[in-house]
Amino acid sequence: MPEYPQIVFAGTDGGAVLDLDAYIESGGFSALRKARAMPPDDVIAELDASGLRGRGGAFFPTGRKWSFVPKPDQLAKPHYLVVNADESEPGSFKDREIMLRVPFRFLEGCLIAAHGIQSQHVFVYIRGEYEREFEILRDSLAAMHKADLLGGVTVVIHRGAGAYICGEETALLESLEGKRGLPRTKPPFPAIAGLYAAPTAVNNVESITTVTPVLEMGGAEYAKLGVENSTGTRVFSLSGDVVSPGNYELPHGISLRELIYDIGGGVPNGRSLKAVIPGGSSTSVLTADDIDTAMDFTSLVEAGSSIGSAGVIVIDDRCCMVQLGIRVSQFYEHESCGKCTPCRVGTKWVTQILQKIEVGRASQADLDVLLSVCDRILGKCLCPLGDSDAIAVLSYVDRFRDEYRAHIDLGRCPFDGESSLEGIVAPSAIHEHHGHETVRA
Amino acid sequence: MTVTAEIQKLRKRYPDALSAVMPALQLAQADNGGWLSPDAIREVADALDLTPAYCLSIASFYDQYYLEPVGRRRIEVCTNVSCGLAGAQQVLEAFERELGISAGTTAEDGAYTLGTIECLGGCGWATVVAIDNRHRLRVQAHDVPGIVEELRGA
Amino acid sequence: MSSGPELVSVTVDDRQVAVPKGTGLVETALAAGIEIPVFCYEPRLGPPVGACRMCLVEIEGMPKLQAGCTLTVTEGMVISTSATSAKAAEGQEATLEFILVNHPLDCPVCDKGGECPLQDLTFRYGPGNTRMSFAKITVDKPIPVSPLIALDRERCILCYRCTRFSEDVAEDGLLIARNRGAHTEIATFADEPYRSPFSGNVVELCPVGALTSTLYRFDARPWEIQNVPTVCTGCAVGCNTSATIREGKVERILSRNHPEVDRGWLCDKGRYSYPHLCAEDRITTPLRRGPKGLAEITWDEALDEAETMLRGSAGSIVTAFSGSETTEIAYALGRLLRAGLDAHSAVLPESTSDVLEAFRLPLSGLAEAEIVVVVGDDPVVERAPIVDLWIKEARRRGAEVVVCSPTGSVPTAPGAGAKTCRELASSRGGLGTKLRSSERAVLIWSGPGGGGGARIAELAHELGFESKPGCGAFHLAAAANPRGVALGWAVAADADETNPEPIELLVVSGDEAASNPDVRALAEQASRVIVLTMFHELAGGWADLILPSTGALERDGTSMNLEGRVQRLRRAVPPPCPDELAWISKLASRFAVDLPPHFPGVFAELATELFRDLALDDLGPHAPLPTRQAYVAPEPATTPAPPEEAEALRLHRYRPLFSGPAVERVPELGFQRPLRDVELSPADAATRGISNGDAVVVRSNGTSATLHARVNKRLIQGVVRIADEHAGDLHPAVDVVKA
Repeated sequence: MPEYPQIVFAGTDGGAVLDLDAYIESGGFSALRKARAMPPDDVIAELDASGLRGRGGAFFPTGRKWSFVPKPDQLAKPHYLVVNADESEPGSFKDREIMLRVPFRFLEGCLIAAHGIQSQHVFVYIRGEYEREFEILRDSLAAMHKADLLGGVTVVIHRGAGAYICGEETALLESLEGKRGLPRTKPPFPAIAGLYAAPTAVNNVESITTVTPVLEMGGAEYAKLGVENSTGTRVFSLSGDVVSPGNYELPHGISLRELIYDIGGGVPNGRSLKAVIPGGSSTSVLTADDIDTAMDFTSLVEAGSSIGSAGVIVIDDRCCMVQLGIRVSQFYEHESCGKCTPCRVGTKWVTQILQKIEVGRASQADLDVLLSVCDRILGKCLCPLGDSDAIAVLSYVDRFRDEYRAHIDLGRCPFDGESSLEGIVAPSAIHEHHGHETVRA
Repeated sequence: MTVTAEIQKLRKRYPDALSAVMPALQLAQADNGGWLSPDAIREVADALDLTPAYCLSIASFYDQYYLEPVGRRRIEVCTNVSCGLAGAQQVLEAFERELGISAGTTAEDGAYTLGTIECLGGCGWATVVAIDNRHRLRVQAHDVPGIVEELRGA
Repeated sequence: MSSGPELVSVTVDDRQVAVPKGTGLVETALAAGIEIPVFCYEPRLGPPVGACRMCLVEIEGMPKLQAGCTLTVTEGMVISTSATSAKAAEGQEATLEFILVNHPLDCPVCDKGGECPLQDLTFRYGPGNTRMSFAKITVDKPIPVSPLIALDRERCILCYRCTRFSEDVAEDGLLIARNRGAHTEIATFADEPYRSPFSGNVVELCPVGALTSTLYRFDARPWEIQNVPTVCTGCAVGCNTSATIREGKVERILSRNHPEVDRGWLCDKGRYSYPHLCAEDRITTPLRRGPKGLAEITWDEALDEAETMLRGSAGSIVTAFSGSETTEIAYALGRLLRAGLDAHSAVLPESTSDVLEAFRLPLSGLAEAEIVVVVGDDPVVERAPIVDLWIKEARRRGAEVVVCSPTGSVPTAPGAGAKTCRELASSRGGLGTKLRSSERAVLIWSGPGGGGGARIAELAHELGFESKPGCGAFHLAAAANPRGVALGWAVAADADETNPEPIELLVVSGDEAASNPDVRALAEQASRVIVLTMFHELAGGWADLILPSTGALERDGTSMNLEGRVQRLRRAVPPPCPDELAWISKLASRFAVDLPPHFPGVFAELATELFRDLALDDLGPHAPLPTRQAYVAPEPATTPAPPEEAEALRLHRYRPLFSGPAVERVPELGFQRPLRDVELSPADAATRGISNGDAVVVRSNGTSATLHARVNKRLIQGVVRIADEHAGDLHPAVDVVKA
């Protein structure tokens, strides 16, 4: 296995750097010193040069995002940096490891970003389920405060309380303001009217952590890593039916084959690869035929999917794709905020039709309705959550149509109770208040 | 320090005191045996000059606020895709067997609440089981008797 | 120099339209004569939320359908609605299909049926059938949100109009969305009632039959009702309303948006007190006290009796008004009593000073204000509830709102309002400076005293408000039409008031006067009493002659609101007894006073005297606001004696919004009436060892009341506050001890 440059996890040797002195000794906070000596616009220019794009899933250029934040003399309101540490996309667990292993690099990135957008206030919105990660950030921050490294910037770590939707940036802002996490309509965009209706940049943990090395090595140098349009490294989260699951920092453009077989050790127990979800559960599924797809933005779009949050879920031939659809749809149904109609109603309806197919009571007409309902969700919702369900389910039907047809034709699940997701109980099934018949997948 | 006094401290952390409602609810819940009773919600509302109804609208939106009593230990098994592929359902069923309760319920003696939970962000370390919000990683069905024994002993 | 706002040119379907830059897309389409259907969109509730997705349209250059309600138009925008875009039509049909997935389609038994936006839009934009083959969500229903409102959660389409009203307009935070996703539902806390003075607005906002009025449920169908436009006389705001009539009976009251007065909001007193028209103790036949007590007599007999009583008392008659009469009734009584009998003495309710005409502003001007100062003892919401909503809107738009009252942002002792005004007038720093330099500042007097707003007028004059059209001053009178009544009485004859002693005859006009303890005290002194009232209970014990009166919904007339706007009441239902103007005219003719027996005639006489030849048609459906008048310095204030410094607490009693003869006759409004509470400041409670909810005894000079303590963080120390109806005979100095 070749050695890959470690940028986000540099200097960790596979472990964690939780001691401030050790971090400083290894060159920590030199990027912050460098940044603070630069005019804020030069920091943004450095990010532009790096080609860094958002690691949360939307892949929006980080420098450009910051440049949308008005200068203080253009809009005399407090400016905010909000870091999205609400990582909850099934398949994605990289931000967690970043906070666990390089908390200071992350917090240094926060301060550099704050300088770039001329903000004195940083909020880190961390999902409530991340207890240990919260403690590490809290302690790291306290150490930095003691060492007088904050430079007058306040950093507040705000804990979520269990709502996937708060990973959507405007829902996150609502939640941070003390409201229900309902996405806002855009415009206005957060850059203009974000937290407390003030100019706000919202960035993902990995993006912010990458800001530190970008400043250290220079944007141009960083841009040499990876491939065109997808510069730099990416922390890929590898999970599912693979020998060595885990987070791997690799340059963009590495092939799915290298990732799963060379790095992940392949599919265990002699099973064969059936499908891969390449970028978290909201992305279209790929099949074994797509194994040579390069893991970068453009290549994945060409393959009909998306790099998303780079959470790669490997699925072997034991898994029933209708059950996969049910489980994914149950997730989105459970996490729908309930604000807009198509998502609130549609995600539940999609689950119901899939359950009908799974138990063998569906006809072709039901499958047609399923596709139509997905179409009627797609592009009609207030935020991407509903779309995620529709995109995922449409892709399962599209790529595994024969398996869906088989359920209908056989009048039962062709896996005969042997699917790897057989009987899995989702929270939405437990939380069903209204006494419907609950069909176990 | 009383919950009310701690909430007053929380308020100061934010430019707008409304932002303190989530941490305030967390405090009140921890102080009230792990769930938010109507009185616990009223206390938060009073401390933040909000209505209890507003606080309920928040508390009922997020999964980690409990509006009904929960067991002294809360066991939540992630059953999302990656954990599911790794055998989460078998882990869940093992807990059901060992604890003698079904998923989504609390033991009659109030010792345990068992549930499933959506993705905990530990897909590479499946199956993830959260016990009082602390994550056990790579849990397999055969680990469950030991975990339950440990919980009983604690 | 450009005049007016910049216009942008937009294409909607095949039509071109030019609208001011920043106009909403839905409004732009409307300007082009094209409807974009909506459910959640309601501009009065604040910024659009884009929740229901009914308004999906296609916009050139945008790949996805857009929620039209969330957008404002820009130059050259090309919009295709469902009329021309198959994609938009499919999107709207999709939305309706989703909405109907869980909707019970119980239209035949739903109150909303026939006037239901969901029904209408489904008919026009929806699918003909459903592809949903699973069981709909079913839940318990209806849930009583309050004694006034029933919630059917199955019908709810989660447009969040009601919760947005609660949170963003009334700002009461009581009606909420609970849970998440498909489990989201409208709720209150712990099944407590939605106890907001404005709760009924959510019924009107609901675009489906989810929130219905318990007083209206199952009573009428849209095709068998008529709506009569009239004006509320529940307070001095004069909200425009529609009375829904079925078979000669008022079935409900709806708001009727006057953009300058009420913006389409209505308080629950205005909305739900109408059942008092059918109260059990309603009197429809005159009553005369005889040897065996009160006995029914005919109207002819009653008028003979009244004539006899009046003739026998000439020279020593006093008339007590309610302040809710139409201006025409006050004028007619004035003509009868003053012109016919030289009885110039009247007890008039607290009125509004004419001086305020120099600072006239529509109430909607409040929303534009950058600073609002409220002075006076009473909470605005108890006196003029809609003004409270206007103030809240001003604050949401960024205005600084300063309240100088016992519970205000500037804690002020009761009775100190005039002093506050003088201080502000002479202030050269802080608030005084801000008021002086502002082009959009509003002053409000909310409470008794203050010369009916004269003190606030002096302050406005001192601050130079006459020359600033965006600045204004209001007095929130306690009655609905005190100024109209005073003016009507004043112009009826040209003579000075006399002070008869002893009183031979007291004429009591209306229910508020009949239930006023001061009037009752006067009756004790009078030899004979005539009472004009709707309710037996109010006068049965003490009147010698009771003449049944009509309710506001049974009257034609005018009423002058707190802005000085003359608005028209229309008779919604025929009264069960003769109209006041008819019998007063008859009676007046016996004293050689010629008076038209009907509203248009009386109004015509009045108009020449009072309203600068205003014609009835000028009032229109939405009455205009008269122009400002020159400032004339008011009578100076008499300096009240300073309150005695004592260890005792000062009792501040106030008249709650939900009180009075009409409210008392509607059991469903009972929960809105004040609790048996005494409010204490935290410090006063602490020194007495009293906690929130404790039973306490409030004592003064030999009288006492047992109430519950409510610790109010905002109440000024040294003062306790009790609603009038629970304060009984308590004196101004009280002490409070634990029971």
